[in-house]
Amino acid sequence: MMSNANVAHPTAGRTFYRAQVWRRQLILVGLTLALLLSLCVDLALGPARFSLAEVVAALVTPNAVSQQARVILWDIRMPVALMAIVVGASLSVAGAQMQTILSNPLASPFTLGISAGASFGAALGLAFGVAIIPTAIEYVVPINAFLMAMFTAFLIHALSLKRGVTVETIVLLGIAMVFIFNSLMALIQFFASQEAVAAVVFWTMGSLTKATWPKFWIALGVLALVMPLLARHGWALTAMRLGDAKAESMGVNPRALRLEVLVLVSLLAAIAVAFVGTIGFIGLVGPHIARMLLGEDQRFFLPGSALCGALILSVGSVLSKIIIPGTIIPIGIITSLVGIPFFLFLVLNHKKAAW
Amino acid sequence: MLLRLSLPFVGALTSLVCASAIAAPITVTDIAGRQITLDAPAERVILGEGRQIYLLGMLEPDAPLAHVVGWREDFSQADPDNYQRYLERFPEMASIPTFGGFKDGTFDVEQAASLNPDLILMNIEAKAATEDAAYDDKLAELDIPIVYVDFREDPIENTIPSMRLIGQLMNDEAAAEEFITFAEAQLARVTEVIEQANPERPRVFVDRAGGYSDECCMSFGPANFGEYVTLAGGTNIADGIIPASFGNLNPEQIIAANPQHVVVTGGSWDAYVPGGDWVGVGPGADQAQAREKLQALTTRTAMTGIDAVETGNVHAIWHQFYNSPYYFVAVQQLAKWFHPELFEDLDPEATLEELHDRFLPIDYQPGYWITLHDE
Repeated sequence: MMSNANVAHPTAGRTFYRAQVWRRQLILVGLTLALLLSLCVDLALGPARFSLAEVVAALVTPNAVSQQARVILWDIRMPVALMAIVVGASLSVAGAQMQTILSNPLASPFTLGISAGASFGAALGLAFGVAIIPTAIEYVVPINAFLMAMFTAFLIHALSLKRGVTVETIVLLGIAMVFIFNSLMALIQFFASQEAVAAVVFWTMGSLTKATWPKFWIALGVLALVMPLLARHGWALTAMRLGDAKAESMGVNPRALRLEVLVLVSLLAAIAVAFVGTIGFIGLVGPHIARMLLGEDQRFFLPGSALCGALILSVGSVLSKIIIPGTIIPIGIITSLVGIPFFLFLVLNHKKAAW
Repeated sequence: MLLRLSLPFVGALTSLVCASAIAAPITVTDIAGRQITLDAPAERVILGEGRQIYLLGMLEPDAPLAHVVGWREDFSQADPDNYQRYLERFPEMASIPTFGGFKDGTFDVEQAASLNPDLILMNIEAKAATEDAAYDDKLAELDIPIVYVDFREDPIENTIPSMRLIGQLMNDEAAAEEFITFAEAQLARVTEVIEQANPERPRVFVDRAGGYSDECCMSFGPANFGEYVTLAGGTNIADGIIPASFGNLNPEQIIAANPQHVVVTGGSWDAYVPGGDWVGVGPGADQAQAREKLQALTTRTAMTGIDAVETGNVHAIWHQFYNSPYYFVAVQQLAKWFHPELFEDLDPEATLEELHDRFLPIDYQPGYWITLHDE
C-alpha cells in the first residue's frame, strides 16, 4: 500500500498514515451523507405526488395525516427504501469478503452459485407450489430460496474441507453450481404454466416491492449480527490479501478463517436474495468501488463496501420508480444499467492496479 | 430395407389418393397475413395449441376431436376445469397423441410429420419460434401447411377471423358464421349502449391473477383485459403506464389513482400455488370460498382507502377470459358492473348459458364471476 520511500522516514510515514486515515474517514462520512440523501429522495418520490411538507408531516406525526399518506409512506415507501439499503449492504459485504477469502476479483454471491440456488428454490415454490419445509404460504418462496442458497453454501463448504482443495477449486465448484441450477431453472420454466413462468422471470429480475416490515427486520438483524463477527476478524482478513503463506506467518489460520467467513457471508447473501430476488451486480461491484476508494484495510473496506452497496441499491430504487412513473422497473435491471458505466469509469481512471 | 423404404411411400400415396378424392384446393389468408393454398376440407389436423379446441369445439360440438390427430399438451395444464369436462364428454380425448413441452415452438417436427396431417394450426405467438427453427420450411417440404390463428394476442381483433378461417379449412363455414353473428351481436349490446350514452367512465384497476404471488400488482396495459375495460365503458388506470399487454404497477400508483372498481382475475390454481390467495372463480367454482378470498385481497396495502373497497366495487372474474374466444361475455359482465343503471336488462350469465347451449360441446356451470358489491 505505502510506498517504500515513506517507510524509510518514520516521521514522514506517520504523517502520511494519519493523512490517509483522515482521508478515508472523510470518504466514509461522504458516503454516509450520500446514502442519507438518497434515502430521503427515495421516501419523497412516488406516483402519489405529496409535497415535501406532507412527507415530513407523515414521517414525524403519522397520526395527524390522512390514512393514504400514512400507508403510502410507512407501508409502501419506507420498507422498500430501507430494504434497498440493508440488502445493498448485505450483498456488497458478502461479495467483499468472498473476494477477500478467495483472493479472486470475480467472486460474488453469484459466482459461488448461492443466488442461482436461491432462484431455483424460489422457482420450485412459484411454479409448482413445492415447499421444501412446510410453512405459511406467504413465506414458501423466501424460505425455499433461503434453504437452497444455504444448501449450496454448505455443499461448497463440505467439498472445500476435502484434502487438496484450493481457492481456485472452490471458485470452480461455485461455477459448476451456477450451471447446475441454471439448467434446473430452465427445466422448471419449460414445464411450468404461463403465469408461473412470468412469476419466476419476474422473481429472478429482483424486486424491492416484495419488501415488508418483518422481512426488513430479519434482514437487518442478520446484517447487524454478521458485521461485528466479520469486523472482529478485520486484521486477519486484511492479512489474507497478502496470500495464505504470509497470513499464516502472521498467526492467521487461513483455512479456518475462510470457512467461518464463507458461512457468514452465505447467510448474508441468502437472506438478501430470498427476500428481494436476484440483484446481480451489487455483490461484485460494491466491493470493487469500495476498494478503489478506500484500499484493502478492513477497518475502512468493510464499512465502505456496505455503504457503497447500500448507496448503489438506494439510488437504483429511486431510478426504478421514476423512469416510468407508476410502474416499478425491476431493480436488478436498473442497478446493472446505471452501475456499470460508473464502474467502468472508476476502473479506467484508476491509477493503481486493484488486483 | 424394402419395408423401411416402402412404408412412407405407401403413406404418402394413400394421403394423395384420399385428398384428391374428396378435397379441392382453396386459398386462404391466415392471421399472420400469409396466403396459403391447400386442400379443404382438412381431414387430419394437428393443433399446435390444445386450447384451439375452444374454437374447434364451437364448429363441431358433437365431435370436436374427430379430425384432430395430435395436439400440444397445454389444455390440461392451463385450464384444468374445462379439460376435465371435455374429458368426461369425450373420453377418447386422452388417447390423442400429445406433443411434449408447453413452450411455444417446442414442437417435435418428426412426430408431427409421422402423424401425416393435412394441416397444422398454430397460434400466432408461436410464429417466431417456428420460423426460427425453420419448421415451416421443413413441413412445407412434406406438403404440410401451417396456418396461424389467434384468440389470445388480440382476441377482439383476431378471434372472429380465426373462426372464419377454421370454418373454411374444416368445411364448417355455416357454423362459423353463426358463431360470429352471435359474438358480434353480444359485443354490440355493450358497445352500442356505451357509444350512445357516453357515460362517465369509472377508473378501473385490473388485478391480474391477484393473490397468485405476494407481488403487487400485475395488471394489463392497453390490450386484452385492458381493452375489455375500455369497451365496457371504464378507464384502465394502467393505461399509459404499462406499455404492452402485461406489466406490473407500483402499489402506490393504485392508491394514488384511487380506482372506483377493482377487477381481480382468478382461476383454480391449486396445481401451482396450493392454498394460495388467488380467487378460484370458474366453472363450478365454490362461490363462498371465492368470496372469502376476494374479501381477503381487499386488505392488501395497495387497496388502502381506495373508493372501490369503500363502495364494495371489488369483483373477480375468470382469468381464462383473457385467452378464450368468449371475451364478449367478460365485456358484458364488466359493463354491468361499471354501469349497472345502463345495463339493467343485460344478463351476461344468460349469454354464457346460450353460448354453451348453442355452440359448445360441454354443459354450462355457473361460477365464472363474483362481486362484493351486493353485500
